[in-house]
Amino acid sequence: MNDIYILAARQISAQSPLCEAWMDTPVSYDEAYVRSIDPDYKPYFAPNAARRLGKILKRALLTSRQVMEACRIPHPDAIITATGLGCIENTGFFLDALTREGEELLKPTHFMQSTHNTISSLIAIDAHCHGYNSTYSHKGISFECALLDAFMQLKNGSIQTALVGAHDEMTPDYFKLLKRIGYLGHATNGFSGETALALMLGSVPNGQALCRLQGIEMQYGTDRAALQQTFGRFLQQLAVGPDDIDAVMIGVNGQASNDRCYAELCPVLFPGRKLIRYKHLFGESYTAPGSGLYAAAVCLNRQRIPAHLRMHPSHTEQCGLRHILLYNQFENKNHSFILLSSCGE
Amino acid sequence: MTCTMDELILKLKKEIIDVLNLEDITPEDITDDAPLFGEGLGLDSIDALELIVLMEKNYGIKLKDPSQGRELFRSIRVMADYIQANRTK
Repeated sequence: MNDIYILAARQISAQSPLCEAWMDTPVSYDEAYVRSIDPDYKPYFAPNAARRLGKILKRALLTSRQVMEACRIPHPDAIITATGLGCIENTGFFLDALTREGEELLKPTHFMQSTHNTISSLIAIDAHCHGYNSTYSHKGISFECALLDAFMQLKNGSIQTALVGAHDEMTPDYFKLLKRIGYLGHATNGFSGETALALMLGSVPNGQALCRLQGIEMQYGTDRAALQQTFGRFLQQLAVGPDDIDAVMIGVNGQASNDRCYAELCPVLFPGRKLIRYKHLFGESYTAPGSGLYAAAVCLNRQRIPAHLRMHPSHTEQCGLRHILLYNQFENKNHSFILLSSCGE
Repeated sequence: MTCTMDELILKLKKEIIDVLNLEDITPEDITDDAPLFGEGLGLDSIDALELIVLMEKNYGIKLKDPSQGRELFRSIRVMADYIQANRTK
């Protein structure tokens, strides 16, 4: 079975775009609804090409292009995209027009670009990729599903490279709906954000790889004992002991209903391990776990976990990082474990 | 509804810029007689669909045969002439 590496990653989010400035100078927010910090797209897109692209498509194309350029892999074997809401902004425009004007006078562009798989297909068209192309839209586990797909295909050797994306935008209208049902917007230490992340995974290290992707395991259910068993088996299969894990990146977001699960499970699953977080920087979205993986990969690559990621700031800076585990859960039912290791491990 | 041809041409240019999201283009950049498709503005078949929707929505002109668009969308002036003669709103 092949080893799998994260060869490069790029993000556009609530943090400074297309760079890792968040490691040293994070942008912090007090409001509950935050849109991403967009770079100036003009140098990257011809005006005629840009005029039809919504924000999510510009972000997805730019992050993907930069990752492909950084790795010198212009045609990845697979393009796999995770998106919880797809092109929700265009969907909103389309539905608004539908309710306002009926079915006869709808703008074709908004219709064409309102589907979930627009993102992955547009990246493929842009890069002239004719290989495997897939989109996972599974609410809060969309990213894990996309990653698992790439992971399995890379492991068994059916592909050598995979561009994996996590892309979600959040419109004011959709945010209002999520706030009304209590899913978001009542945060004391977190916000609703947008995700645009591109990762290149490959089975051949390129000398600049951020880290290794050792394994991914997902479990559905509320049975705590079963979850504990699954996690134990996961580590056993990877020949990693609980004490080998340097830090556990978790998806706390400031919402009591979400964070309660972490508070209950983390002491049981990861006793004594250092807990670190990412959603206070990148915000909550259906594909936010992608940002967690990205943040952990950068930490491993730089061999440093900034103090602002630590759940307990009293924890001291640690050298020689070898393994970071990601644990995310969605609605207390969908659990995922992802183990990243430094390239030397 | 009553306006001179020059006023209609200017209004049409503004509407096209808006509906096709032609960033960085002003009405002055669009020549009245220049081709809209291919050369000139470089519009394509999806833009043609947008223009068909614009004609119906803003001027009440329903193009039953989409192939009419090829002739009709030749230039801003041709469009404006057609609108002036056939508009219902």
